[in-house]
Amino acid sequence: MLPYNLYLFFVFVAICVPSLKCGDVVHLSASESADKLEAVPSLSTAAIVSKPAVDTVFSFSLLSSFPDDLEVSDYCSDLLHIFGQRYVAYVNCLVPAARPVKVCQSCYSTYGNLVEIYNNISSDQMGPGNVTCRDSLLRSDRLMLVYQLYSNLESLWEDSNCAKCVTEHLESLTNDTLYFMATLNQTLTCFEKYQQGNHTELCKNCKSAYGTLNVLYSQMEKNSTLCIDIEDAMNMTRRLWSKNFNCSFPREENVPVIAVSSFMLFLPIIFYLSSFLHSEQKKRKLIHPRRAKSNTSLMNIQDKLS
Amino acid sequence: MANITKKVSWSSRGDDSGLAGEGTPLLNGTEIPKPSRQLSGSGSVFRIGRFSTVDLEDDITSEEDPIRGRPKEIPHNEKLLSLKYESLDYDNIENQLFLEEERRMSHMGFRCLEISRWVICGLIGILTGLIACFIDIMVEKLAGCKYQVIKENIEKFTEVGGLSISLILWAVLNCAFVLVGGIMVAYIEPIAAGSGIPQIKCYLNGVKIPRVVRLKTLLVKVLGVICSVAGGLAVGKEGPMIHSGAVVAAGVSQGRSTSLKRDFKMFEYFRRDTEKRDFVSAGAAAGVSAAFGAPVGGVLFSLEEGASFWNQMLTWRIFFASMISTFTLNFFLSIYHGKPGDLSNPGLINFGRFESDSVAYYYYELPLFMGMGAIGGLLGALFNSINYWLTIFRIRYVHRPCLQVMEALLVAAVTATVSFTMIYFSNDCQPLGPEHNEEYPLQLFCADGEYNSMATAFFNTPERSVRSLFHNQPGSYNPLTLGLFTLTYFFLACWTYGLAVSAGVFIPSLLIGAAWGRLCGILLASFTPTSPIWADPGKYALIGAAAQLGGIVRMTLSLTVIMVEATGNVTYGLPIMLVLMTAKIVGDYFQEGLYDIHIKLQSVPFLHWEAPATSHWLTAREVMSSPVTCFNRIEKVGTIVDVLSNTSTNHNGFPVVVQVLDSDEPAKLCGLILRSQLIVLLKHKVFVELARSRLSQRKLQLKDFRDAYPRFPPIQSIHVSQDERECMMDLTEFMNATPYTVPQDTSLPRVFKLFRALGLRHLVVVDDENRVIGLVTRKDLARYHLGKHGLEELQLAQT
Repeated sequence: MLPYNLYLFFVFVAICVPSLKCGDVVHLSASESADKLEAVPSLSTAAIVSKPAVDTVFSFSLLSSFPDDLEVSDYCSDLLHIFGQRYVAYVNCLVPAARPVKVCQSCYSTYGNLVEIYNNISSDQMGPGNVTCRDSLLRSDRLMLVYQLYSNLESLWEDSNCAKCVTEHLESLTNDTLYFMATLNQTLTCFEKYQQGNHTELCKNCKSAYGTLNVLYSQMEKNSTLCIDIEDAMNMTRRLWSKNFNCSFPREENVPVIAVSSFMLFLPIIFYLSSFLHSEQKKRKLIHPRRAKSNTSLMNIQDKLS
Repeated sequence: MANITKKVSWSSRGDDSGLAGEGTPLLNGTEIPKPSRQLSGSGSVFRIGRFSTVDLEDDITSEEDPIRGRPKEIPHNEKLLSLKYESLDYDNIENQLFLEEERRMSHMGFRCLEISRWVICGLIGILTGLIACFIDIMVEKLAGCKYQVIKENIEKFTEVGGLSISLILWAVLNCAFVLVGGIMVAYIEPIAAGSGIPQIKCYLNGVKIPRVVRLKTLLVKVLGVICSVAGGLAVGKEGPMIHSGAVVAAGVSQGRSTSLKRDFKMFEYFRRDTEKRDFVSAGAAAGVSAAFGAPVGGVLFSLEEGASFWNQMLTWRIFFASMISTFTLNFFLSIYHGKPGDLSNPGLINFGRFESDSVAYYYYELPLFMGMGAIGGLLGALFNSINYWLTIFRIRYVHRPCLQVMEALLVAAVTATVSFTMIYFSNDCQPLGPEHNEEYPLQLFCADGEYNSMATAFFNTPERSVRSLFHNQPGSYNPLTLGLFTLTYFFLACWTYGLAVSAGVFIPSLLIGAAWGRLCGILLASFTPTSPIWADPGKYALIGAAAQLGGIVRMTLSLTVIMVEATGNVTYGLPIMLVLMTAKIVGDYFQEGLYDIHIKLQSVPFLHWEAPATSHWLTAREVMSSPVTCFNRIEKVGTIVDVLSNTSTNHNGFPVVVQVLDSDEPAKLCGLILRSQLIVLLKHKVFVELARSRLSQRKLQLKDFRDAYPRFPPIQSIHVSQDERECMMDLTEFMNATPYTVPQDTSLPRVFKLFRALGLRHLVVVDDENRVIGLVTRKDLARYHLGKHGLEELQLAQT
């Protein structure tokens, strides 16, 4: 099929180029076959490669396994299997917790499991049968898939700052976090209570609850015990408060501000006017230098030029 | 009116110079100028009269005479030369004392001198770095306190109302700082006002600006700049650093302080203008290097501003001083920031790092950059023009110290008011970043968790604002904010420069430029929605900053290197150079650079690189001052005292002539002696008669002259009794026996070149028989300049 097309193309070219008078139709088909021509090299290389590949598949089925010393031990493949399961569990937990962000609260235990199995894999402790899986699983090939997968999730964990909200051994949430969540709930309940009707009511009544939450948040910010869950919750609450309920401070002092600033701006005008009118102008005394009376004086030159 | 008193303009027709140049004999005619000797009343002041003119201009002569002596008063303008400025004695005085001392000095002595030069340069670097460090920390502390107080106040009053009180608080705090700075500058040391770069430029050019390198000036400068930056004015602390470095250099190299009356008996050899000036250029370089973290830029700054007298070793020493200075600053700032040994704070202004991929640039952006350069040149010319008129107004009407302080206070108050109003009415709210780039985020009426974007620009020290304009994420400013900011800051900065506070113009220019540059970047990105990657606003902010700064100060090579070094990215060299070139070309078309304007307005006799074009037809005879007051080689003390005390002729150099016994023969030139030398001689009573009577009297040495340097006592303070007036003084030993002379037909550019290249102070004009007929000084040369209507002449004035 392909060589045939190619052949066809060359025929077209052979027809077109000498005559230099091909119709549109001919051009169109020529460009079409040009497209196909472009596809040819990749296809042909694929074809070249595919032959050895077929060979490999063939031989692979024959050589079902590498010699013993290169093969991954059963122990390690078990570890790998468990790693896969826990990995999937963690990711399954993460995805639904993406919005609103609850990745720390809901997934810290699954993350703990994942860390545990990875530590097992990467430790240089000998397992049963005097094997260590670190080298065989983590760094025996260029791709280092297990390591890459794990380090992706690890950096995710780092970025989310979850460690700040979870106790050291990933057992539970810290007290600070729990307290913050409780305060947050109070505020949100308050919001819900007054949500219907006039928002000014809400602004007035929930101000104390929101204020407490804000103070608590800024305190935690100072202690740097914030994780993404708390930050996101606070952001959402603030947005509710400021944007949805419009409770931020209104700009209502325009008149005094304008008055004071125009007074200030008026001062320099007075200053410059008064100093212009009242201050005596500084005069400079001219000094006449002693000069030789030149016979090539200016007048002379100009006279001579004209 | 005669040609001397009125402003003379020569027509700039092309044939003028040519005709005059080759036509000298034609114009001179064949007459031989015959000097007519006039002996003044005392009989020994030797004067050479005017040429008797054989030509037809007798009427002009008679017309001219009555105008002399009638002092004329005019309002201050830029076309004046002030009498208060003198030249530095860069040229070595090779008198007999000097030769003697040189003979006595061993080979080892010269080695030690060379080593002590290096030591001094090291000291200059260290002290300059320390001063920079001190300024930086003080500004950070004071401004930090101020902004913290105002921020808390604003937060409080946003809630309960009464923000106008915050506004008043801000204004009052600003005024308080500026009051301190203003009083110091206006009442204690007015020369410390402004950035100091014009003054240092003049000093390096060879003009002695009174009090410019004194310890008192340094103190006022340093404290003043802290006050004005902390006082929230639109100023920077970089320009004053250069002045500070220069003062440090002048002080250290002398090994003593006249203000403190302490003499450390060190470095006595360097107590003369030649050596001092070299060290001052090292100090200026160290100042630049500490200010911008740009050691090479510092060296090039000195080279660009004062480059007449350079050699390789001096350059190398200056580079050493610069490097030491930036290193010292680095080291102490790292200790201050709690990271000792981390040497990553190279300068006072830190542009931050431009390293990510988004700040790469492509060839198609170069025309855009040059366009921005042109805008920078235009805006810079506008800035300079406004500032020019403002400065003239200030010199004419706001010259009393109390008025100057009041003006500074008003500017401070208005700056606070304008900033507050801008922030108050701004609707540009941005979410708080995770890394808190903003030092003092103001929320005001923004939603919780957001801050007012205008406040990052106004409610901050200018350096931090520059850095946030360079480095904040795209989208942290909206175009309206930037536009308004540029507009207000432009006028504030323009109004501020020239006040009686010590303050630099670098940072405000960078800030204005960064604001409109960033605006350009944002607009470009919005015009080309498909490829927003290259239109990084931070990069355009940098280019805009360079363009604006170049448009205002018009420095070329050194500014390019300074900018490249401050950004730490050599790949920006090409665009920055192109931008600065365009800005300079466009700006020069309309108006001079800011520093040149201020030098002119100070009426400083500044010598540019070249004599004005079309001036070849002017000869030394027309340029020189004449008649000249001369002394005989053995002169009566009374005569000397009388000449020196004459206030109307405050001459500094006197040709020494020798009378041939035959009294008909005119006296011939045999040397040149300076006023300062004569004063020292009078003080030590080196009279012929006394020497005869007291044989044991110590011979005067060069050291005695150096001890009196640089503040020679005025003649009034030297008491000469009536008997002593009759004594005679022998000047042979002390005069410079081989002064530079030129024949009277030498053209102006030739004379100019001699002055510029040799750093001369006096150039004697002689006729073909070595008789003195005139004296050319700096003021005689500096008065010619190329104006709009051809060659113009500046007038001398008492200021």
